[in-house]
Amino acid sequence: MTTGVPLTAGPLANAALPDAPPPAPPATEIDRFVALSVALTGFDAFELQGTGMAGFYLKTVVEQVGRRPYDALRKAMEQVGFDPEKLQGDVDQDLARAVTHLWYLGVWPPLSAEVHAQLQRQVANDAFTAAPEAYVQGLVWRTFHGHPQGAKAPGFGTWAAPPPGEPELPRPGEPARHHDGTTGGTR
Amino acid sequence: MTVRDPLTGLTGFTDIKTPLAEIEQPPFEIPRTVPKLRYFLQAALALEFLTIPPYLTAMYTIKPGANQEAWYALRAVVLEEMLHMTLVANMLNAVGGKPVVADPRFVTDYPAKLPYAKEQVPIALRGFGREAIRTGLWIERPEKMEDLPRTGKEPDPRGWTSIGQFYATIREGMRRLAEKQPDLFDGDLTRQVGPEDFYNSGGRAFPVTDLASALKAIELISEQGEGVPGSIYNPDERLFGQANELAHYFRFMEVHEERRYGPLDTPASGPTGPALPIDWTAAYRIDPQAKVADYPPDSEVRLAAEHFNQVYARLLWLLDRSFNGEPKQLQAAIPVMLELRDLAAQLYANPHPDPARAAKGVHASATFEITQAELLAAKKQLDTGAGATALLASLA
Amino acid sequence: MSPARDLDGHRYDVIVVGAGWAGSLVAKRLGSQGWRVLVLEAGTTTLDTWPGHLDAMNTFYSSLIKVPNAPYRANTAAPSPSVLDTVPHKGVHRYQSVGYLVQEGPLPYGTDYLRAGGGTGMHWLGLTPRMLPQDFKVRTEFGYGRDWPIGYDDLQHWYCEAEREIGVAGDAAEQTREIGLPFPEGYVFPMHEIPSSYVDRVMAEHLDGKTVVDPGTDEPVELRVVNTPHGRNSTPNQAYDGGRGFRPQDAVGLPNYGERCVGNASCTPICPVQAKYNPLKTQAQWSRKVTLIDRAVVSRVLVADNGRVTGVEYQAYDDPATPVATTRTVEADVVVVAAHAIESARLLLASELANSSDQVGRNLMDHPVMLAWGLMPHQVGPFRGPGSTSAFERFRMGESRKEHAPWRLVIANWGWTWAAGSPGSDVAEMLGIPETPFQQRKKALYGVPLRERLGDRIGRQIAFQFELEQDAQPGNRVTIDRRHRDALGNCRPILSYDLSDHVKKGMQAAMGVSHQIFDLLGAEERTAYQADAPSYFEYEGTGYAFNGAGHGCGTHVMGDDRRTSVVDQWQRSWDHANLYLVGCGSMPSIGTSNPSLTMSALALRSVERIHQDLTELHRPLVLRPAPAPEYAHPTEARP
Ligand SMILES: Cc1cc2nc3c(=O)[nH]c(=O)nc-3n(C[C@H](O)[C@H](O)[C@H](O)COP(=O)(O)OP(=O)(O)OC[C@H]3O[C@@H](n4cnc5c(N)ncnc54)[C@H](O)[C@@H]3O)c2cc1C
Ligand code: SF4
Repeated sequence: MTTGVPLTAGPLANAALPDAPPPAPPATEIDRFVALSVALTGFDAFELQGTGMAGFYLKTVVEQVGRRPYDALRKAMEQVGFDPEKLQGDVDQDLARAVTHLWYLGVWPPLSAEVHAQLQRQVANDAFTAAPEAYVQGLVWRTFHGHPQGAKAPGFGTWAAPPPGEPELPRPGEPARHHDGTTGGTR
Repeated sequence: MTVRDPLTGLTGFTDIKTPLAEIEQPPFEIPRTVPKLRYFLQAALALEFLTIPPYLTAMYTIKPGANQEAWYALRAVVLEEMLHMTLVANMLNAVGGKPVVADPRFVTDYPAKLPYAKEQVPIALRGFGREAIRTGLWIERPEKMEDLPRTGKEPDPRGWTSIGQFYATIREGMRRLAEKQPDLFDGDLTRQVGPEDFYNSGGRAFPVTDLASALKAIELISEQGEGVPGSIYNPDERLFGQANELAHYFRFMEVHEERRYGPLDTPASGPTGPALPIDWTAAYRIDPQAKVADYPPDSEVRLAAEHFNQVYARLLWLLDRSFNGEPKQLQAAIPVMLELRDLAAQLYANPHPDPARAAKGVHASATFEITQAELLAAKKQLDTGAGATALLASLA
Repeated sequence: MSPARDLDGHRYDVIVVGAGWAGSLVAKRLGSQGWRVLVLEAGTTTLDTWPGHLDAMNTFYSSLIKVPNAPYRANTAAPSPSVLDTVPHKGVHRYQSVGYLVQEGPLPYGTDYLRAGGGTGMHWLGLTPRMLPQDFKVRTEFGYGRDWPIGYDDLQHWYCEAEREIGVAGDAAEQTREIGLPFPEGYVFPMHEIPSSYVDRVMAEHLDGKTVVDPGTDEPVELRVVNTPHGRNSTPNQAYDGGRGFRPQDAVGLPNYGERCVGNASCTPICPVQAKYNPLKTQAQWSRKVTLIDRAVVSRVLVADNGRVTGVEYQAYDDPATPVATTRTVEADVVVVAAHAIESARLLLASELANSSDQVGRNLMDHPVMLAWGLMPHQVGPFRGPGSTSAFERFRMGESRKEHAPWRLVIANWGWTWAAGSPGSDVAEMLGIPETPFQQRKKALYGVPLRERLGDRIGRQIAFQFELEQDAQPGNRVTIDRRHRDALGNCRPILSYDLSDHVKKGMQAAMGVSHQIFDLLGAEERTAYQADAPSYFEYEGTGYAFNGAGHGCGTHVMGDDRRTSVVDQWQRSWDHANLYLVGCGSMPSIGTSNPSLTMSALALRSVERIHQDLTELHRPLVLRPAPAPEYAHPTEARP
């Protein structure tokens, strides 16, 4: 019987919602956050927007460190021509680390103890996964053409295929088969 | 255009202004020769395929983590449509036909007109929402059995009125032909897709080797969609020994009405069970008529949309090969579908490249457009053994 | 308290303690034979609904450290250990156990189990190798550990049955060819093998046919990558069962949703699509004769003066967060304890039962896992597919076992995830984020260089798991002490755990083999055991560290002598003829095979005996001239 089978995991399904109200920041602000994130992460704007997490991450950052330090980071990035290597100052550097960490793993990391104190943060300096979906959208998996463990499964037997750029190999105990095509895979 | 749904009494689809694409429909008659029957079955293949992109679009525009019951309903329906396609291909192969999939003529433009219907119902690539679900209701709606085409000297002028009627016509044609021609289903057995090559939720493929298996296939196709006549359930329990499951129409009805069917509900009663809250806002808004050409050349969205269509072309080839003597290729088709899922999800999460439209909250789309050039490129890629596909097809 | 759970005074044919792996199988078979079975489960049973499953998925996604128990909700009434419980410590030992398990031994038992419906089988990895025929007589053949009272041949039929219940995917012909395993004539597994990963293929390309020298014996050993049998769905084999084929079991909680392994690569802790076998799939096949009561912690097995057990006492609670319980009793003709090796022993000790041999709780075994990891010169596509799909099998067998413990050399598919917490640790490292906020931060890498460096590093990660056989040692044991109790007042398990020299010599030899393999691969070895790791120890001047495999075994070992073993070959208590102890605890030695398949075979074999016992009990009474002595142990009565 399918009737009567409730399928929602209740409150958690809502927790997974990346952009539940209070209202998401206006698009232009998200765009600016994405521009900054492109420089930090090395992923282009399409890929970052493609995670569906941009607005939610911006909200998370502002919640964690406050509006002003975030604005300061943004201005600092503009001043250094979006080259994060040139960022000066412990606060900006540590915020840049944290934003990048958030994009790569979906996890907000602890800040350095000094920066935490300097910002007079009202929240605990603990790591946490920003949302269940944030883990799933972590960028780190894309760096090696993988997928997050437990999500975005690529299909039966795909693990037997070479990663992009590597040659086909026979299964153990079988003679080699040859072909020289390029590999498929994601962008 | 405005369409009034005779079942729900609702009017809708007012947003579609362009003329609708139409897939080729056989004449309104009972197929009386084997070539005619093959033609009908090829048309059935196109019909089953037509439904998949709209359902995928609805499914993948649901925001991650939201509306999971609707997501699973759509997923189950898509998988069953894949099974239907496979069974139609098996029938076509059984009667000595050659299924055609990787051909631009096989793939319709969207919005398309709902085939085998009198009404001008637009089947568009809609983001998840009431209209998308209503489109599904139209496609899967159960029919009171309409008359089959009359057989006479003159062509029957009435024309098709429902998909159910179309399949009933094929069934009748097969029955009559099988009487005259005992070897009707003697097609090459190695072209049949069996349970080894396709099993999943939503039943398993089975070879069509005689009239009985062909009739079983037709029955399954009609009833997984519309339900066993007079009931809200599909025939899986009877055919596969699986758990009782709602037919597509009634799954969509649950979502549409935001209420589940109770154990005693019937098609007439509608769903009266527990509430099924749907968050209609937790979905990306997209343009139901989006085309690649809408996106500025060389923009990231344009490139991604084109890439999507190339992978889609690869899927068509894999299906084509699976149905034309290489059933193992079906295993390779699943990873490609999952790749499409990820590419589509990225598109839907991106704002529309036109700032004015983006400001209105419209997002980019996967357009499911196929050209001859794309098909050729995809074929070349496959022939050089790209990606996991060559290897997967050699497994098991 | 719901009235349905008030079973006071009820009587069943069989009570099964624990709705985990072994218990679910036993209940299924006995139920379908028509016996009225009551299953009492200590934990909750939320995982058999789809919302429950999705909740576990979300908990898993949200967890910071994705350990085996990460998806599953904590339960104070029926607590479970976590691998995070053993932490470094500066004291008598290098570790401290801060969770449910009390640990007092020289080395930590560093692994977990799950107390919830479905049991530990919810987060098992899914590998189902059989034991080797020689594994059943290690004492006689190789001079260590304990022999079994039965052999491979006695289990052959039951192995096949277990493979049916679990739905094993594998290549039986290869198992015979490469490992020498005997199967019935023409046998195939229910499903075709799970494809070997690209990592496996790289290994085979570099290593197949090459030899390494076992430093413990100076003998050469040939390397060959062999596909492992799995308990997860692949393609059903049409040739199975004399051509009848095999129908895989659907997912639990969502009708008609069950599919092939799609490569989610999270089998431990949770398989999102339930392609991996789990005991809830067996529960879904229970007949109406089986009643399951959850949130019922069995606190005592009850025994009558004549030595027969009469039933159990259990604590029924409602809210796993507020452990308030009502104590109840229920009776049955036969009691089957299947609560996991450690919990079953704990329960017997608390009941002061079945221990005339003084072996209850002793001989605790696991497969200590020594990890070795490194970087290949090129991309290998890690973090894809099941956790492991192949292994090198030759180190499991042969005369070297006289010198040191054998091992299964498992090829890991998930990079350094177990060894070093990748990929999270790689990201943190490259961003210059140290372990604590108080440490100095390093310069971070950003942008495209960060993306490329990470891809380059993670994509080249390889790892091996040397899973060693641990021999039965009476000193490795579970005990209880009234001072250590859980929230319901039940005694917590106290573990004393150590590795014998036989195992340590095995690690020594394994490390030598590991170096040679990295050389042959042209890989950069990165293995490093930290001196502050909880399991760190030194042996003959070299430092080692190991992990637990989760294969708790041997706490109620079987034997053919009631003075030295807890159960007979049917897993029936020597002391109480209607008490069965079913699970890995019965295994006197464990070879190098993940134990659950063998455990399942044993469980199914026991069901036959329980069925006989019950049939005899229920036979209409006939007056006989000389009644057989009552309650003698059946195997003794029938020599
Ligand atoms: C990380 C990990 C990976 C593993 N991978 C593999 C693998 O690949 N291959 C393999 O063969 N094995 C593997 N195992 C081992 C496997 O999970 C166990 O061997 C198996 O689950 C043991 O089954 P069991 O029935 O004895 O115990 P369990 O499955 O743990 O079931 C015991 C049940 O009893 C219940 N219970 C406990 N106490 C009480 C009580 N007092 N009253 C009532 N009920 C109680 C528990 O809640 C539980 O439901 C793995 C284990 C771990 C931890
Ligand atoms: S690899 Fe994925 S789909 Fe396969 S068993 Fe593991 S978790 Fe399940």
